[in-house]
Amino acid sequence: MPVLTLPWRRAAPPLQSEAATPAEQNDVTLFAAALQELPDAVLLVRREGTALPKIVSTNAAARGMLRIGSDGEQLVSVLRHPALLAAVEDTLATGKENTLSYDTGGLRSQMLRVWVRSLPMAVLIVLRDETEARRVERMRVDFLANASHELRTPLASLSGFIETLQGHAKEDSEARERFLDIMAGQAKRMSRLIDDLLSLSRIELNEHVPPSGTCDLSLIAREAADGLLPTISTKGLRIEISAPPPGEAIAVGERDQIAQVVQNLLDNAVKYSLDGASVSITIEADVAFDSNAPGPDRASLRDSGGGHLTLLAAERSYETRYVAIRIADSGRGIAREHLPRLTERFYRVASQKTGEISGTGLGLAIVKHIVNRHHGALMVESAPGAGTAFTVYLPSVARTPAAGEVAPASTVTKPL
Amino acid sequence: MMTEHTLKFFEEELTQLKADVVRMGGLAEAQVVQAVRAVASRDVGVAESVVVTDEQLDALQHEIERCAIRLIALRQPVAQDLRRAVGALKLSLILERAGDYAKNIAKRALVIAHAKPEIPLTRSVQRMGELVAVRLKEALDAYSAGNVEAAKSVWNRDEDIDEHYNSLFRELLTYMMGDPHIIGTCAHLLFVAKNLERIGDYATGIAEIVQYEVAGEDFTDPRPKWSGVEPAPPVSEAEA
Repeated sequence: MPVLTLPWRRAAPPLQSEAATPAEQNDVTLFAAALQELPDAVLLVRREGTALPKIVSTNAAARGMLRIGSDGEQLVSVLRHPALLAAVEDTLATGKENTLSYDTGGLRSQMLRVWVRSLPMAVLIVLRDETEARRVERMRVDFLANASHELRTPLASLSGFIETLQGHAKEDSEARERFLDIMAGQAKRMSRLIDDLLSLSRIELNEHVPPSGTCDLSLIAREAADGLLPTISTKGLRIEISAPPPGEAIAVGERDQIAQVVQNLLDNAVKYSLDGASVSITIEADVAFDSNAPGPDRASLRDSGGGHLTLLAAERSYETRYVAIRIADSGRGIAREHLPRLTERFYRVASQKTGEISGTGLGLAIVKHIVNRHHGALMVESAPGAGTAFTVYLPSVARTPAAGEVAPASTVTKPL
Repeated sequence: MMTEHTLKFFEEELTQLKADVVRMGGLAEAQVVQAVRAVASRDVGVAESVVVTDEQLDALQHEIERCAIRLIALRQPVAQDLRRAVGALKLSLILERAGDYAKNIAKRALVIAHAKPEIPLTRSVQRMGELVAVRLKEALDAYSAGNVEAAKSVWNRDEDIDEHYNSLFRELLTYMMGDPHIIGTCAHLLFVAKNLERIGDYATGIAEIVQYEVAGEDFTDPRPKWSGVEPAPPVSEAEA
C-alpha cells in the first residue's frame, strides 16, 4: 500500500542553486542576502564628519527604483526631496526614527513612503512604492466626480423629454417618434461615456506598470481601417495606409491598448474629415524621437494660425528607437491656442456651428495615458483649414523576420 | 601647483558644491510643486508654508555663492573645474529666482483662496504648473547626472510651456470679458501663469548651464522659438 504523505510533510527537494559554503550559511550573511531580495528599496547611508551623507550600500530594489551611480555616491545626487533629506539629517543627529510620504514628480510620478531609522554609525532608509494604493483611491474619487458631472447633461435632456411626453406631447405621435429617437441617442451617449470613463480609469490604474509583449503596428492599422469601412463608405472617404510589411514595425506594448490608440485617432480623423476627403496612416519603423526636427511645413503651420506641439514627450534615453504612426486628416484643423488642451478630459474645441456633440471628449485623454504607459510620445500638427495630424511614437523592438505572407507596402482602402 | 593631497581635497570641494546646488534644487522644485498645489486646491496652509520656506532658499543661495567664490579665489581652477564652480554659482542664482516666483505664486494663491467665485480655470493653471514642475525636475536631473543629452532634450522643448501660457492667457482674457466679477481673480492667475512661464525659462537656463559645464560651449542648433505677443481676441469672440 503506497504511503500518501501530506504535501507539506514531504521533504523539499534541494534547491538547484550552488551549494552554500560554510561561510555563506552564516546567519548574518544570510540576512544580508535576504535584504537584497526585499521588494522595498533599502539604502544604507553614512556621514563622515560634516560632509554630506553618502550611500554605503543598496539592495536590488533600490538600484531598480533609483538611478544609483556607484557606492559612495552622495545621497543628494540620488534623492533630493527636502523632506527626505531633512528626515535623514534629523535621524543622523538625534537617532530618532522618521517616516514620511512624498510624490516623486516627473512624467511618471510615484508616491513613496519612506522610513528612516538610526543604526550604529549609519542610517537605514527604506522606500516603498505606494503609487498603486493611492492611485486606486484617487481614481475612485475622480471617476465619481467626472461621471456625475458629465452625465448630468444627457440626463437632464432625457428628463426634459420624458416630462414633455408625459405632458403636452402625450397624444402627439409624431413628436413621440422624434423625441424617442433623441432620447435613445442620449441614452447611448451616456453608455458610451461610462464605457470611456471606465476604460480611462482602468488604464490609469496600471499606467505605472510597464507593458510587456509586442504588437505589429502594420497589422493594427490595417484592422482599424477595415473596421471603419461602413463609416467611410457613407462619407465617401478613403483611408490610405503607407506601412512596412508585417513583422517590421514591431513595438513594445500591449496589443489591445495600442489598437485602442490607433482606433481613437482614426475615429477622430474620420469624424472631422469632410466628405470625399482622404485620411492617411503612415507607419515608419526605426525612427528617433526628435520633437524639434526642422520641417518646412512647420513655419507655414504657424503662419496660418496653427502649430505643432508635443503633447507627451518620451522620457527614455536618447538612443531609443521608435516605431512612429502618423494619422492625418484634411478636415477643418485646430487653431494653435487649443493645442495644449487637446488631451484634457472633456475638452472640445468650440466651433461656430452648434451641431450635435458626438463623442465623449475622452478619446485623446485615453490615447495620452496609454502612450504614457508605453513610454512613448505623442505629437500634433494642425492649422485651421489645413487638417490635423497626430503622430504616436512607441519604443520598437529589434526587427523580426516576417512570418506568413507579405502584404504590399502601401494599400488604399476604398469603400466597396 | 596643487599637491596630490590638495587636488583630492579640491575635488571633494567641487563635489560638495555641486551636491549643495542639487540640494537647493530639490528645495526649489518642492516649492514650485507646492505653490501650484496651493493655487489648484485653494489650500491656505500650503501657500503659507511656501512663503515661509523661501527664506531657506535665500540662505542656501548665499552659502553656495560664498563657497563658490572662495573656491575660485583659493584654488584658481581652470577649464572644466572653473566651469563647474561658475555653473554652481549661476545655478544658485537661478534657483533662488525660481523660488521667488514660487513664493509669489503662493502669495497670490492666498488671495485667490479667499475670493468668492470659484472658477474652473485653476485646472488649466494646474496643468501648466505640473508641466513646468516636470521640466524643472528634468533639468535638475540632467545637472545632477551631468547628462548633456537630457539637458538638450529640456532645452529643445521649452515651446510646450510657451504654448500653454499662450493658451491660458487667451482663456483668461475670455473669462474676464465674460464676467467682470472675476477680473480680480483672473488678473492674479495671469501673474501666476507668467511666473510659471518664467520658471519654465529658468529650467531651460539650467539645461544651458549643464551643456556649458560639460561641453564648454553653448547649444549650437537653431531652436525655433515663439516670439511676439498674442493680440487680444476681438470682442465678438467672447462667449456670453
